Amino acid sequence: MKFIDPHIHVTSRTTDDYEAMAKAGVAAIIEPAFWLGQPRTNVGSFQDYFSSLVGFEKFRAAQFGIRHYCTIGLNSKEANNEALAEQVMEIMPLFLAKENVVAVGEIGFDDMTALEEKYLRLQLEMAKEVDLPVLIHTPHRNKKQGTYRSMDIIEEHEIPPHLVVIDHNNEETCEEVLRRGYWAAFTIYPKTKMGNERMVEIVKKYGPERIIVDSSADWGVSDPLAVPKTGNLMLERGVPEEHVELTCYKNALAAYGQSGQFEESDWLNPEPIDQRTLFEGNSVLRGGQTPRVDKPEDDRIIQ
Amino acid sequence: MSYTPVQLLENWILRQASDAGQAWLDTQREAVATSDLKSLYMAFGFAPRKVGKADLQLTERDLNDAAEARPGWMPHAWTIDQAARVLLLMSLPSEDDAAFHATLEKLFQTAEIREQICLYQALQLLPHQELFDDRLSEGIRTNIKSIFESIAHNNPLPMELMSEQAWNQMVLKALFIGAALDPIEGLDRRVNPDLARMLIDFAHERRAAKRPIPVELWRVAAPFADEVALEDMRALFASGEQLEQSAIALALVSTACDEADVILKTNPEIAKRAESGEITWREIAQQAY
Repeated sequence: MKFIDPHIHVTSRTTDDYEAMAKAGVAAIIEPAFWLGQPRTNVGSFQDYFSSLVGFEKFRAAQFGIRHYCTIGLNSKEANNEALAEQVMEIMPLFLAKENVVAVGEIGFDDMTALEEKYLRLQLEMAKEVDLPVLIHTPHRNKKQGTYRSMDIIEEHEIPPHLVVIDHNNEETCEEVLRRGYWAAFTIYPKTKMGNERMVEIVKKYGPERIIVDSSADWGVSDPLAVPKTGNLMLERGVPEEHVELTCYKNALAAYGQSGQFEESDWLNPEPIDQRTLFEGNSVLRGGQTPRVDKPEDDRIIQ
Repeated sequence: MSYTPVQLLENWILRQASDAGQAWLDTQREAVATSDLKSLYMAFGFAPRKVGKADLQLTERDLNDAAEARPGWMPHAWTIDQAARVLLLMSLPSEDDAAFHATLEKLFQTAEIREQICLYQALQLLPHQELFDDRLSEGIRTNIKSIFESIAHNNPLPMELMSEQAWNQMVLKALFIGAALDPIEGLDRRVNPDLARMLIDFAHERRAAKRPIPVELWRVAAPFADEVALEDMRALFASGEQLEQSAIALALVSTACDEADVILKTNPEIAKRAESGEITWREIAQQAY
């Protein structure tokens, strides 16, 4: 089965992860712009980070046969540094028009401060201007309030819910998110957000419509195989195959496909120009190796 | 009659673009001509969505016109969005060279892969090329082969602008990452003893690691071959694979030194094919990659 992981921070993962993801059937991924585990102190760090999301990381993923997309945005934590936030807003037009940018995100609330709200609103307007979907990060603490408040603000800005993915849902938030017509994403992240056994129960209870599974794997203890593992667990526990396909592949394709920048043919039949620029050059696998998964008996030998 | 690069690009786009794409490009070029940087940044990004990404359909005549308009310009691998992006850049006012340079640098620093390829190929047609020699040296440090090749291949600027040190790094790196040497403009003109020595060292590293030595290496090493290099070539000419033997023969023929003649006589059949022009570097490169 093919999978899309529509939320993974692969910049902080290794080539071993890419190999394992490709082997498990992950065909395409979306890397939302987020913070790096510590706050950035100047706009240049943002510029170089955004550049790596639209450039080098896309190339790196392609070496393993995985198509890489991203979302561009100022995250809620760093929105609290107003001087820096202003400068980040200024460079965003340089990135929103890039070819693999499929949404504005991940934006939203962390501590639910006034500055967080200010930059959420500004970026919602930006998304309207460039006609892109929006990816909303919901807070870890005070999640229910934060999620509802985010949706209220989106509605004030008159962005239709079918253009918005609300992420990091749980059993307490998903009903209202689905009721209001949004895409409801769930992050399978060990110990904190959502476990995959709970996820199976949610899909059984609510059905597959507008539900999206992702990993948000990053620099923390997390699992880049969370989407395939969850998909396989659903199958094992009797969720119909078409429901697995929707929640682990097709719904993400439909939601982010609204950008016009995210099409199945990109990875099933890449255009010749994309093949030339992305897949031919091969410096991650130095010395002209072809992408491969090591056989156990080869593990001791480094060619 | 001869054309300017702008006229050629306009014609090529006109042949292939939709009416809507053409109208969009005209409007954006007007905005960029007023130094509206936000329009430049957005239009530069949006170009493939508006005019498509198809390869330009260029004839022999188009390619000849290009070479006449800008010596060394070889746009046979250009795409329509690339042409549109270059026209946008050529619309940007350039009287203030520092401002022009700063705007281009901003685009380089924030470019995705195909945009970088476009920018490095565009420089040969833009004003103030001499300000971008550091940018070329920076560009060849990339890990992305297609970006490296947009500088090294079918691009007259490295030959025209690069210092010897940067040039030598570019040629060595091409061999290192498996990019062909033949499409490097000015390859034979800019050979030098330092480069030959670097390449021979590289050949010995590869041999020690039991990895193959790229056959095009001998083309650049041979004009300054010392005893060590000649000994390497003698050994490969005797026992190498056919493509290696052909490359060594061609390299030796170009040196026209006595020792080279002695080596060539050990396999007169291949030597004859190299001397008569039956073997070419272009074909060797095509077979090697």
